[in-house]
Amino acid sequence: MNLTEFAVPIEYYIGLSSVLFFLGAIGVVLRRNPLIMLMSIEIMFNAANLALVTFAKAWANNTGHIFAFLVITVAAAEAAIGLAIVVVVFRKRQNVDVDEVAALKG
Amino acid sequence: MIVHHILGVDGQFPLLYLIWLLPLFGAILLWAFGPQLKSLAGPIGSALIGTAFVASLVEWGLATQAVGTNGAMLYGAHMSVLTWTKGFDFGLLWDRLSLTWTLIITGVGFLIHVYSIGYMNGERAFARFFAYLNFFVFAMLTLVLSDNFVGLLVGWGLVGLASYFLIGFYFDRPSAVAASRKAFVINVVGDVGILYAVFLIVSKIGSIAYGDAFAAAQSGFTPGELTTICIALFIGCAAKSAQVPLHTWLPDAMEGPTPVSALIHAATMVTAGVYLIARCWPFWVNSPDARALVGAIGAITALTGAVLGIAQWDIKRILAYSTMSQIGYMIMGVGVGAFDAGVLHFLTHAFFKAQLFLGAGIIIHNLSNEQDIRKMGGLRKQMPFAFAAILVGVLAICGIPPFSGFFSKDAVLYETLVHGHPWLYAIGALTAGLTAYYMFRLLFVTFFGTYRGDVDPSSLGIRHPELAGVHAPHDENAHTEHAHAPAWLMSVPVAILMVPATLIGFLYLGGRESVWVKFFAPVFNTGSESAATPILSELASTLLVLAVVLVGIAVAYIRYARAGFFANPIERLRLESIRMPAPLTNALYFDLAIDYLVVKPTQLFGKVCARIIDPIVIDGAVREVSLSASWLGHLFRSFQTGLVRAYAFVIVFGVACFAAYYAIAGGVH
Amino acid sequence: MIAFWILALAMIASAVFIITAKKPVYSVIGLLANFIALAITYLTLHAEFIAVIQIVVYSGAILILFLFVIALLSSGTKAFDVGPDKMPKAVLPAAIVAFVALGFVLVGTLRDKLGPAAGVVTATSDQTGTANAFGSVADFGASLFSINLLPFEVTSFILMVAVIGVVLLAGDDTPARKTGRKEHNRESIVKRESITR
Repeated sequence: MNLTEFAVPIEYYIGLSSVLFFLGAIGVVLRRNPLIMLMSIEIMFNAANLALVTFAKAWANNTGHIFAFLVITVAAAEAAIGLAIVVVVFRKRQNVDVDEVAALKG
Repeated sequence: MIVHHILGVDGQFPLLYLIWLLPLFGAILLWAFGPQLKSLAGPIGSALIGTAFVASLVEWGLATQAVGTNGAMLYGAHMSVLTWTKGFDFGLLWDRLSLTWTLIITGVGFLIHVYSIGYMNGERAFARFFAYLNFFVFAMLTLVLSDNFVGLLVGWGLVGLASYFLIGFYFDRPSAVAASRKAFVINVVGDVGILYAVFLIVSKIGSIAYGDAFAAAQSGFTPGELTTICIALFIGCAAKSAQVPLHTWLPDAMEGPTPVSALIHAATMVTAGVYLIARCWPFWVNSPDARALVGAIGAITALTGAVLGIAQWDIKRILAYSTMSQIGYMIMGVGVGAFDAGVLHFLTHAFFKAQLFLGAGIIIHNLSNEQDIRKMGGLRKQMPFAFAAILVGVLAICGIPPFSGFFSKDAVLYETLVHGHPWLYAIGALTAGLTAYYMFRLLFVTFFGTYRGDVDPSSLGIRHPELAGVHAPHDENAHTEHAHAPAWLMSVPVAILMVPATLIGFLYLGGRESVWVKFFAPVFNTGSESAATPILSELASTLLVLAVVLVGIAVAYIRYARAGFFANPIERLRLESIRMPAPLTNALYFDLAIDYLVVKPTQLFGKVCARIIDPIVIDGAVREVSLSASWLGHLFRSFQTGLVRAYAFVIVFGVACFAAYYAIAGGVH
Repeated sequence: MIAFWILALAMIASAVFIITAKKPVYSVIGLLANFIALAITYLTLHAEFIAVIQIVVYSGAILILFLFVIALLSSGTKAFDVGPDKMPKAVLPAAIVAFVALGFVLVGTLRDKLGPAAGVVTATSDQTGTANAFGSVADFGASLFSINLLPFEVTSFILMVAVIGVVLLAGDDTPARKTGRKEHNRESIVKRESITR
């Protein structure tokens, strides 16, 4: 499986990563549905991972891979906790609108 | 190392620690286990002090032996208890001066402990009383045995504390609490004086040891410094030894139980000032100004105490003022440079004044805490033993030969002449006459005539029976409910005290050639001071004082012991009470003066602080700080919307700022 | 090159779909597409192990978790609905800021492209799938368990904390109270306490 017959500048990968990251950020900022916010966060994680893997390739150093792996692990933990919070909030308030959950308002 | 000392390996006087620490042990024991020990507390406390007394005697013997081997050296022994740095070790000092005081503290202390078993029998806090007494003895021994100024200061403070405890022993009586507080505050004023003196000494010579300080007395200080040190030390002496104008706490201190008055406020603690001056004699010898001041203050105090003693009706207050007056003599003696005479007067006074107080205590005890002599009278037949005790004490204090007071007072007065202070001699002689007058007044009014205890108080001129004197009855029920302790517990100590009160003066028989002077010759090595030729010979001086004393006695006899008085004593006493000059009934307005000169300005300053400085300056600053914190909090609170998406937006915005920075700055290369 | 562009377009399109979808279920579908495209992109970068992990963990585990939660929340009496996405006042500045930042980042990353080539991702001589090649499982494992062992172990600790946290957060304490079975309640408390310890 050789898909890299043509040379692709690594900047393109970084650009793709940035676009994905900001799309995720926009999702987090604009959506009120906590599930979609969490998914947007996953997009951002993935964008970061893409950048890491790209750098690993560019410098031929697999520490980037390790880092991406750890990010995936932590992302899994984050998703689990985030979803658990969503479940708890829903159970307590029968509502998961993040704008309604503002008990920390100063 | 301490173990070594206790075993006496390198200390000549192994029992010194025992003498010093036994009372502390007793205090802790009685404090901790008082409720369990119950009535055993008194005997245990007394036994410990008695043991300390016996140990002191043994140590005296050892010291005498040591003198035999060490030649004419004063037997001083420095035994380090704690060593801090060079010049700062705490040790015990065993020389003839500390020996004298230790013997009095433990000996008279022991007798008064025994007496207290009878006197305090059935009190609520029997064990607490003995714990305090033991603690006092420990504190006083710390003061006396310390071989440095810091130890002295510690003891000085601790005796003040013990005095505070014991004056306020009946802490449910407001007057007792007020008296204890007054005593403590005035004593702390004195502590500050001594502290200042210690600071001066240490800053000058870098050592707290007596030896270093006294070695430097001759040339280590400038005359001004030395005088300052002496005056600072004397402020402490004046507060502790009730010298004018810091004497006002002593009469009030009679709120304490009578044995306390006898031990602390007559025999031992109040003479700490005499001890301090005698101990620091090299300072005084080298500071003529300080000597003049101290001698004058002593004479003024002696006269003041005697004058005020005339006007008192409360038997304990009479004795308190006489104590003040007699300490004035001592201070006058040590002040002018007659250290051995001053110390001799301390010795005799400790015996006869303790005896007077204990005799008064017997009366008070038997009359259910009646202290007003106007309500006594004719007690000679009811209480012959108390009469004998008081009679011996009165004769001694008046200086009737051959009682002890005669020798010591005579010595002090003659020495003032020898050291060239005829005015002080005149005041002292006058005081002797006044003393004879008011002491015999006490004797006559109390023991002669008819008993007046059942007379209506107002007809005796007692205007406020509940305020007259300090005899607010305490625990009368306690006294009536329990069976009285065996009478011998109270009478035997008094009987024992009678012997030295009568005879101890013979130590001075022979004047400058006496046993006493030779005993202290190595201590007070004042050298060949140019002695002025006294204007009176010793015999003339003695006879003059005796004559004045006899005049005083005669006046008292004419006023209180003749048919004119006995015909209608009640009316006479009433008239005298009413016509008593206001300055005398108000204690020469010393309290008033202190109130207006010290207390009121201090209170005014406090009010200024409380009304202006504190609310505006300090509170203002605090309030501004807190307000600014609150304002910042309001500011930052508005950022906390609680909206997750708003937070996310802020984060994105921050990322955008970073991105912009690196894009414009060209990124990281 | 063509593959890159196809994958990039797929990912961007799916991401846009995710953040604009009406219902979370649609977003999950978009996310699935996004992940698969990303996994293929990883392969183009010679990151075989990461690509596999991407499929297994993300597509296999996390997405299923999302689906479960959606199903769980939708199964109640009340429909799972958060109502319309009212755009907050910040929507316009947020979008502008995000796009400006994106523009800056792109400028920052692509600026040097016009200059001398800083580096390109080219086909390497060794084929993917070769043992011990860069990015292979063997290469990754050797690195992970040698010099990167500590981060690995720390991550495991983080995962454990996450598990405990999830149990505590979503742990069910209401049924016991509702049914009034105190025994069960006490049991669950004991169990919770033992977990927290």
